[in-house]
Amino acid sequence: MDHLRIVVGFKVTPDYEALRAPDWARAAGGAAESGGGPGAPETRYVRRVLGVFDEAALELALRLRDARAEAGLETSLAAFSVAAREADPFLQTLQALGFERAARVDPRAALDFAPRVTAAVIATYLRRIGSPDVLLLGSRCGPGESGAVPFLVADELGLPCVTEVTDVQIASRGRLRVTFAAGGGWIRATIAPPCVLAVGNAVVSMLRVPTLKDRLAVRERSLDVLSSGELGVDAAAALAGEPTVLASLETIDRERAGTIVAGRTPEEKARALYETQLRARLERL
Amino acid sequence: MSLSREAIVEGLRRIVGPDAVVTDEKILVESSVDNFRKLQNIFDVHTAPVPAAVVLPADTAQVAAILTWANENGVNVIPRTGATATEGGLESVVPDSVIVDGSMMNQIVSIDPYNMQATCQCGVPLQALEDRVREHGLTTGHSPQSKPVAHMGGLVATRSIGQFSTLYGGIEDMVVGLEAVFPGGEVARIKNVPRRAAGPDIRHVVIGNEGALCFISEVTVKLFPYFPENNTFLGWTLKDMATGFAVLRDVMVNGYKPSVARVYDPGDAGLHFSHFAAADDCVLLFMAEGAAGIAKATADGIQAIVDKHPECTQVPSEYIETWFNDLCWDASKITAEDERIRQTHNVNRTTEISADWSSINDIYQAAKARIIDEIPDITMMGGHSSHSYINGTNMYFNYFFNVVGVGPEEETDKYYLPIIGIICEETLKRGGSIVHHHGMGKARAPWVKDEYGSSYYILETLKRSFDPNGIMNKGTIIPL
Repeated sequence: MDHLRIVVGFKVTPDYEALRAPDWARAAGGAAESGGGPGAPETRYVRRVLGVFDEAALELALRLRDARAEAGLETSLAAFSVAAREADPFLQTLQALGFERAARVDPRAALDFAPRVTAAVIATYLRRIGSPDVLLLGSRCGPGESGAVPFLVADELGLPCVTEVTDVQIASRGRLRVTFAAGGGWIRATIAPPCVLAVGNAVVSMLRVPTLKDRLAVRERSLDVLSSGELGVDAAAALAGEPTVLASLETIDRERAGTIVAGRTPEEKARALYETQLRARLERL
Repeated sequence: MSLSREAIVEGLRRIVGPDAVVTDEKILVESSVDNFRKLQNIFDVHTAPVPAAVVLPADTAQVAAILTWANENGVNVIPRTGATATEGGLESVVPDSVIVDGSMMNQIVSIDPYNMQATCQCGVPLQALEDRVREHGLTTGHSPQSKPVAHMGGLVATRSIGQFSTLYGGIEDMVVGLEAVFPGGEVARIKNVPRRAAGPDIRHVVIGNEGALCFISEVTVKLFPYFPENNTFLGWTLKDMATGFAVLRDVMVNGYKPSVARVYDPGDAGLHFSHFAAADDCVLLFMAEGAAGIAKATADGIQAIVDKHPECTQVPSEYIETWFNDLCWDASKITAEDERIRQTHNVNRTTEISADWSSINDIYQAAKARIIDEIPDITMMGGHSSHSYINGTNMYFNYFFNVVGVGPEEETDKYYLPIIGIICEETLKRGGSIVHHHGMGKARAPWVKDEYGSSYYILETLKRSFDPNGIMNKGTIIPL
């Protein structure tokens, strides 16, 4: 393909690692009002971060664009998020990185663990802007996520979906060489778009950073912002009809103890390690 | 005639035994730099002279023997404990240096809750000491971001400061006594007393010497009662740093001692507070702590002061408390940052200075403007003030850049040193100090004469007197 339209959908998520214990406890108690909706932990007080697989998807899209440019091929990049205003700083960053189109679809409802509604909003939006040649999505994002959205979107758009994608490179005749995890190993497939790629534990997992000058250059550009209602999807009503809801979310204490192996020499320490940690296990083998 | 590498290793083995002399090539190469050239370790591209050995003394007597031998044989010695230095103080700049690593001297000698002091060897991790004194309901009051990984000897050697300094002071306010070993093998012990006026306070010859005068083998620090249940958090957004500095000044001049008192500029605030602060917001925050009455009075006093500034908008305290709980850098965060650098080539660096209240905003504005204008590939330029005093405050410049078109080994020359240069120039021009708490290391040593002015005579004489053969950490504080 001389021209490839790549669209990346991403999600911003609370930085769960920074949540205070009381904010998790509130979830266990079923707080009525919290940043993530009923049953979710209190997330208002932590910063937002890109979902790890979404971040990888965005960087893979940029690398694909760069590789195609080197081969003399044109690529257009667009990014969107189904989110409230918290996604705007991330969209502005993507504009500075060269995404020509940056859009936010505000569902005006908490869509955590509502994959069918989320997928309906995404598919409707993509039909509105024109179905892409390549749609990259993170395979899942944060606690309480179903991991079903990429499948459902692909189904709605009638496109094949490759899951657990770890790398995407250009191939001849506009095709893509897609590496994905399967059966405990990896498979590399050459694909002619269109397709949906659900990015998993990618080799490249971190998004590049735009310079201040890059940001300045796009400062006047606006984001495309529309509500799901404007797309004809009443997310709140659809949510009420969801058969499965996330009732609560709580963290599990995985604190581990440590032991310092003492000894005056490496030999003594090795002996102590063997006696205290290894011998009994080896004897059981 | 200088010793060969083999002779150096052999000499050290005779002193401390073969098990305490490390000659593993990978460890030696990694030990040739510290975090100042962290990209060299991240990308495994090294240019500094490789040390001859890392030696792990077991006690003060072995340190004395090593320094005596090194002094007699002209071997450059680099004292080290936790290896968390950021300014090149641990870099080997001459061939066949010896890293004297005190991390095996890791015993807490005593905890004295009645006299409120604890004594420990140089290799005790601050976190380990803090955990032990907490069992007594006490705290060291010292909490640099490196607390989980830094050791006591290095913290004293670099005049470290912690995040609660406005209440507890810097390390120089906490050290009541110490033991240090000098190049001739002389062991000097400064006794632990509440105060002394018997001539100059010679603790300050040792505190902050960065291994350029002596090896710190043991320290005694103050302890304080620990009342985490009274911690009170306060936060505001505002639109300019000048107002933030003015509020900090009001708080200090009126005698309040919050443990944390900070103002972040919009760039730096964006890294931590983007979930409640707008892109052009500064963030002002405080933590009051101590006994219940003190914590309440401190918080009430600060609230009254900030209330006089209608341009400040208060935010829920949970925002600040959540930020506070995630402050320190442990090993997993360092590993994650290294991986981000490896993938994105986007590097975070910091440079801290201090100045009086009249100058600090001008230094901040001038340095920031010049760096954005003169240095390529900057992705974030910001900073915060985090340690305030009655006569002024610090500025902790925090900046990121993409490393473009050069290898990891050239990052310091293309980006980091030119930025440090701008910050030092703008600070010196306005009478500030070019180093607030990271130490001079080798990174800022080129500006030492401008920093000291006519008092350089005292520094130079100290170096000449205590280290006449110039074997102590060549190039640190005083450049080659």
